[in-house]
Amino acid sequence: MNWWDDALYRAAAEAILAGGLAGIVGVQVVLRRLSYFTMALTHAAFPGVVAASLIGINIVAGGIVAGAVMALGVVALSRRRGQNAAAATGVMLSAGFALGAALVATQKGFSRDLSSFLVGSILTVSTPDLLITAVVLASVSAVLLACARPLMLTGFDPSGARAAGFSTATWDIVLLLAIEVVVVTIVPAVGTILAVALIVAPAAAARPWSARMPVITALAVVFAIASGLGGLYISNRWNVAAGASISLTAVAILLVSMTLSSVARRHPRTRPSVVITGMAGWNHGVVHSGAGADRARAADAGAG
Amino acid sequence: MIAPFALPFMARALAELGLLALVCGPVSALVFARRLSFVSDALTHTVFPGVVIGFVAGGLDGLFIGALIAAVLTAVVLTLLSRSGATSDDASTAVVLTAMFSVGVVLVSRRSSYTSDLTSFLFGRILTVTPRQIAETAVLVAVVLGLLAIGARALIFRAFDPAGAAAAGYRIGWLDLWLNVIVALVVVAAVRAVGTILVVALLIVPAAAARMITDRLATMAVLSTVLILAAGYAGLLASWIASVDYGIALTSASTVVLLLVLAYVSLIPIGVMRSRRARPALSPAAQRSPHELVG
Repeated sequence: MNWWDDALYRAAAEAILAGGLAGIVGVQVVLRRLSYFTMALTHAAFPGVVAASLIGINIVAGGIVAGAVMALGVVALSRRRGQNAAAATGVMLSAGFALGAALVATQKGFSRDLSSFLVGSILTVSTPDLLITAVVLASVSAVLLACARPLMLTGFDPSGARAAGFSTATWDIVLLLAIEVVVVTIVPAVGTILAVALIVAPAAAARPWSARMPVITALAVVFAIASGLGGLYISNRWNVAAGASISLTAVAILLVSMTLSSVARRHPRTRPSVVITGMAGWNHGVVHSGAGADRARAADAGAG
Repeated sequence: MIAPFALPFMARALAELGLLALVCGPVSALVFARRLSFVSDALTHTVFPGVVIGFVAGGLDGLFIGALIAAVLTAVVLTLLSRSGATSDDASTAVVLTAMFSVGVVLVSRRSSYTSDLTSFLFGRILTVTPRQIAETAVLVAVVLGLLAIGARALIFRAFDPAGAAAAGYRIGWLDLWLNVIVALVVVAAVRAVGTILVVALLIVPAAAARMITDRLATMAVLSTVLILAAGYAGLLASWIASVDYGIALTSASTVVLLLVLAYVSLIPIGVMRSRRARPALSPAAQRSPHELVG
């Protein structure tokens, strides 16, 4: 018997791939405070997934279309005066989930699939699922790497970026669509709740340890893969739901990381202190670490 | 138009929605002003482990207590985390949400079949609401309205001018806890009867829709209540007609949500006209980016 036939090996491969995906976009999600958007995406892709499985096309394709509609909808709604982005996201979330639920209810015997959509079924992942995840991992990392500079600029200094001639709206949409593709890809394997945990928790755990984007990203990927493999082990050992134990492992890593980093900050001789309150802390770090120079260069280019 | 509601279970469903409309109107206006959509979404998920533990410990009677404890605990934890500033608000909300929901799933997955429990938690069973559940909802609605009436002025002050409220001697941390507990109680009152999706929708969509017509908070609250009542009545009626006359299984909870969203979408043109008349289009620099999805 081929070792690949063992469900656990396939699940481990999926955990590694999904961890890599979650780690690379998770850093953007945490630094730009897009957690709620990510949560909403997992729900908004739902009607697309259901509709695709009813028509009989690939469910990832259906989810990606529905998620893209949602991402563009949030951008359009949140640019209205008087509508805050949080409320617009909430409206899209409710609408997407209710639509999916209504579609599901028209089918008989669908509630089993529904639960697996929510909590994931990583142990039943198939070889095509793995291939899709690998392709998405390659293409999303290529896009994020190629667009790293404008994304960083528009994320951390929107007015400077605008002055330098970057279109912030365009780059926002590029990033939101990248997050959307990742979420839709990993949801069928790991479930909606786990997808959010795997994206947010490892990146938040990596954040206190550095102010440099590549370092944070690498750490987040390592933490996410460790949560995936550790959670699988726990699930296998004590016979609990795999998705839930993976997300609990991710949360445990976050707690350990926060404890260790606050200890490290109390003893400044071990490492320089890093301000960790989101954007403010980040700006602080960036100005001292080279991106400020990039910004000046970009501003020159824009002026010239 | 009234005939279906002569049936006891339809009348009970309408009564439950009416009670929720009373309380969700004002609360959703505050949730909108304070941008607490993510917190309300999180609360609907974090009551899940409470429901599971309550059911294991005390059967059906334990459900309510378990949900209440989990919700209030979440409200306290979220308030503390956002005060401490260790991670950003939205990341800590997401982590608390996923952690508590996963605990619930782990507990449930130890039992042999859990998919139907999960499904009923998500979608609720509004058509099988019992008189006892309506009584529980009524008590919680009274408590929440009382809490709102006491704290309204301070909460509104804090929503629009946190620095001013702090300078005037209000304790911001306690006010935040106050509102989080109010939202938690609404979630507990509603979640068993109507399921998580409908609760999130009732707390977010009505005020966002009312905001298109008015920018006065009191008017927003009243409009939201009216909107929920109308959507609740029309949704129950539509799902009744669809399933009785046409044999289409249309769940009442999702019909109500979709009608609320429909109201929101159809009010967008009015909102656009109002903002055009009020002042010329904002410069691009003043427009909001989607990157302020603060929880």
